[in-house]
Amino acid sequence: MNNNHFIFKITLAFILSFSFKTIAQTDWIKWNKADYTYRINNLVEKRNYSFDFNNPGRFLLKSLANAYWFFISDVDGDNCSFNPTCSNFFILSVEKTNIVQGTLMFFDRFIRDMNIFGKVNHYPRVLNGHFYDPPSLYILDSDSINYIPPSVVVKNE
Amino acid sequence: MKNLFFIILIFSSIIFSQENNQLVNDNLFSLPNIKKFADYLFCQKDYLRAANEYERILNLVQNDTIEYKIALSYLEMGNFNEASTRFNSITESSSFYKSAQAQSLKLVFQIGDIVKFRSQYLYINSNRAYLDSAGLASLYMFSFLLTEESLPNEDEFVNAFQIAEKNKIRNFYEWKKDFPEKSPLKAAIFSAIIPGAGKIYADEYSDGIYAFIATLAAGYLTYDNFKAGHDFRGWIFSGLAVGFYAGNIYGSAAAVQIYNAHIRFDFVNELKAFLEDKNYFLQVFNFCN
Repeated sequence: MNNNHFIFKITLAFILSFSFKTIAQTDWIKWNKADYTYRINNLVEKRNYSFDFNNPGRFLLKSLANAYWFFISDVDGDNCSFNPTCSNFFILSVEKTNIVQGTLMFFDRFIRDMNIFGKVNHYPRVLNGHFYDPPSLYILDSDSINYIPPSVVVKNE
Repeated sequence: MKNLFFIILIFSSIIFSQENNQLVNDNLFSLPNIKKFADYLFCQKDYLRAANEYERILNLVQNDTIEYKIALSYLEMGNFNEASTRFNSITESSSFYKSAQAQSLKLVFQIGDIVKFRSQYLYINSNRAYLDSAGLASLYMFSFLLTEESLPNEDEFVNAFQIAEKNKIRNFYEWKKDFPEKSPLKAAIFSAIIPGAGKIYADEYSDGIYAFIATLAAGYLTYDNFKAGHDFRGWIFSGLAVGFYAGNIYGSAAAVQIYNAHIRFDFVNELKAFLEDKNYFLQVFNFCN
């Protein structure tokens, strides 16, 4: 009797030892460790440090902007609440119009940037939460104004 | 106790048995059952599945009501091309023909091609009597509000609509006729006189106040630095002051343009909401009651 009991115990232990192999999870893809990261996606506006050697005016402007980005803005961090940032807005404005009109657009943007009370519920936002304010709204061409209400999140800038 | 248990067990199977014997006995995929299910999905606004079920019926039998419902399902799903094809496939012998044609024409409007809608309407109207003529005439008249064409006489315009709609329509007409746009030139002049005034004119109050403070502060710093003999700083601040002043004049004109775009956007949205509410003035078949 004792012998039978011993055999039963051994058998049970044997089955238990290997059972994890026989009924083991085979769906490896589903159950593999996920490489999760809880970092916020890098949605910071990408800098374009390229130069345009064909146009002397643009070359000068871009050199100043690149220097500002490299020595000041990038060190300071992602602090401009607008998209495009004020410096990028200046370059885009000049490219879209001319140096005089672009400069006027920049000064107007600069004043609006100083206004800490009037931005929320006034501009639509992009995915990283910055206020979407493209130069096309300010070139004094009513056909180029694509009004976007502040409640909208702009996905394709 | 045991006997009682068995008695309850035996009788419970009768008590809780399937009641809808007809459904069990019938084939679930019989034509009436598919139609019942499709109608249920349609009324539950599950248009994708409803259209699939109706298609199943159409494979077995031709039915203009089903064709019309399929077209409506695609319309509700926003698949305008398919909806248009389906409406146009309904033959002249069908009682839904005129409504389907009207819906097809309305789709052109709904897609946003107002010019095409107007030309097609005029062409059809001049060639044959149209079914849902009152509704389409209202829609045609309404389309004036969404184009740059000059508006017709107010009474002629308003009379194309039902009595219940006239007040709202008159408001739209007057809004369109005297659009409450502001002048960019005025804004620029205001800002030239008092920095920031043009922004306030464009309803940008806080921007206006900031422009005023920034220009005034830069101006004061220019004066103060020149007075103290700090010429270099004086020139820097004078550049800033001029930049803020001129930039604000420019920005005020731009702000008014954005203001005008904003009210135009609101106007069009209100028109669209009204149209949706009135089903584009077209006849509505209630299939769900």
